[in-house]
Amino acid sequence: MHRASFPILAAASLFALASSLTSHVNAAPAPASAAAPGLDYNFFKTRVQPVFLTKRPGHTRCVVCHTQNNAPFHLVQLTAGSTAWNEEQSRQNFQLIQKVAIPGSMDSPIVHHPLAQDAGGDPHHGGGQQFESQNDPAWQTLKAFVMGAK
Amino acid sequence: MKNKQVLRGVLAGLTGLALCAVSASAFAAQLRIIQTNFAGDSMHIIDPATNKVVGQITGIEAAHGIAAAPDGSRIYFSEEADNTLSVIDGKTLKVTKKIPLSGNPNLVDITPDGKTLYVAIALTYNDLSEFPRIKAAPSGGVDVIDTASLTKVKTIAMKGGVHDLNVTPDGKYVIVGNARGGRANVLTVVDTKTNDVAWTMPMDPSPSPMAVSKNPDGSTKAIYAQNGRDNGFQVVDFATRKVTNTVKLPDITGNQQNQFGPPAASHGIMVTPDQKTLLVNSRFNSALYAYSLPDLKPLGAVSLGGRGAGWLTITPDGKTAYVANEHTNNVSAVDIKSLKETALIPVGFAPARNTIWMAP
Repeated sequence: MHRASFPILAAASLFALASSLTSHVNAAPAPASAAAPGLDYNFFKTRVQPVFLTKRPGHTRCVVCHTQNNAPFHLVQLTAGSTAWNEEQSRQNFQLIQKVAIPGSMDSPIVHHPLAQDAGGDPHHGGGQQFESQNDPAWQTLKAFVMGAK
Repeated sequence: MKNKQVLRGVLAGLTGLALCAVSASAFAAQLRIIQTNFAGDSMHIIDPATNKVVGQITGIEAAHGIAAAPDGSRIYFSEEADNTLSVIDGKTLKVTKKIPLSGNPNLVDITPDGKTLYVAIALTYNDLSEFPRIKAAPSGGVDVIDTASLTKVKTIAMKGGVHDLNVTPDGKYVIVGNARGGRANVLTVVDTKTNDVAWTMPMDPSPSPMAVSKNPDGSTKAIYAQNGRDNGFQVVDFATRKVTNTVKLPDITGNQQNQFGPPAASHGIMVTPDQKTLLVNSRFNSALYAYSLPDLKPLGAVSLGGRGAGWLTITPDGKTAYVANEHTNNVSAVDIKSLKETALIPVGFAPARNTIWMAP
């Protein structure tokens, strides 16, 4: 796994992160596509969100913790009785994930934080090592999202 | 005749010895450690006689607090996935009831008579009124559960979310640390007769987690409070309601430090049943420290084979501590007298709270 190998990438990442944070500070919800160039809303809605809802053997689902706690990555709570987010909630989630998804950067926390350390991820994630390998299809989906897949 | 009497006496004695042996063996065989796995979907059951996992309780997501009925008939645990207190039958190890709670549950403790459970309720961050800022909903406190009817009989509202609570050894009070979300910087004491707040005292940061010692008459002597930040603990004298000591755990060299994960540098603390030793985890040092009580003289430490020591429990005979290593998904069994790690037991993801359980 190559993370922040090039100064240009690092600078771009910082710029993207700063832009993202600035958009939060200004708190003026813009159309999702304009707020996050490189991150595709439809890919997020149809491919990424299901990753957060999927129960993986041995693990707690992402949605359990990230809808309740105040971790940097937050998801909107599901409507009672619902098993998926509605359109408005999905757009809110898309805005929220930009705190941890830096367009084009493998330094994005959403990519390395839930990945096992042995596979190139962080030493610790409160939600456990959700992905044991970079070959995990769900992790590949997160990577593809960050890298701009449509 | 005389010989027969002697023989009978010998046989009776041998039978008695045999029964004692069976009884002791059965007792030892029934003692179990229940280990929750916060990021997992099961709880592990460890046999302290062998330090092996002998079973799992499955179908669980994000178990947080755990307590066992004194007679072992039930195991209670709070489940963050659905904000409930689940009741497990001690014989079938199946969830028999889920009791809805007032919010996001954290630690659980039970009175010595087994009649009442107390559940810490943390703040839930789900208020989108200022989106994209996520605010905590107005909640938090302690839920009171009657174990006869298995219903929530009261919510004791408190400032700040509650992560930690300990029922005192005499069952008269619940010591509460208001430390989860919107720190209130306070220690709260609840009277279990009325289930109302008896008194509070400011503590900055709030206690998290805590251990409680008792006087010879069983009354509460002191509270040993970690605080979610420092690598050490404070001592609160229960009678005078004052902090009487602050203890910092030893510094270790940088390359030995475990700098990852939650910010609580020291997390997990417990008094041995004989009230003579205080065991203190250091998540930062991945070590377990022992202090004599009441004088708090350092007795030594054990460097753990796992990382991220977060919680611990002690066997009733006071001989063994089980430390949950959250960052490496295992549990260290530690001989308390020699301060040696005797086993490193693999469990589920992010092992957290653990408790002893006498299987029925």
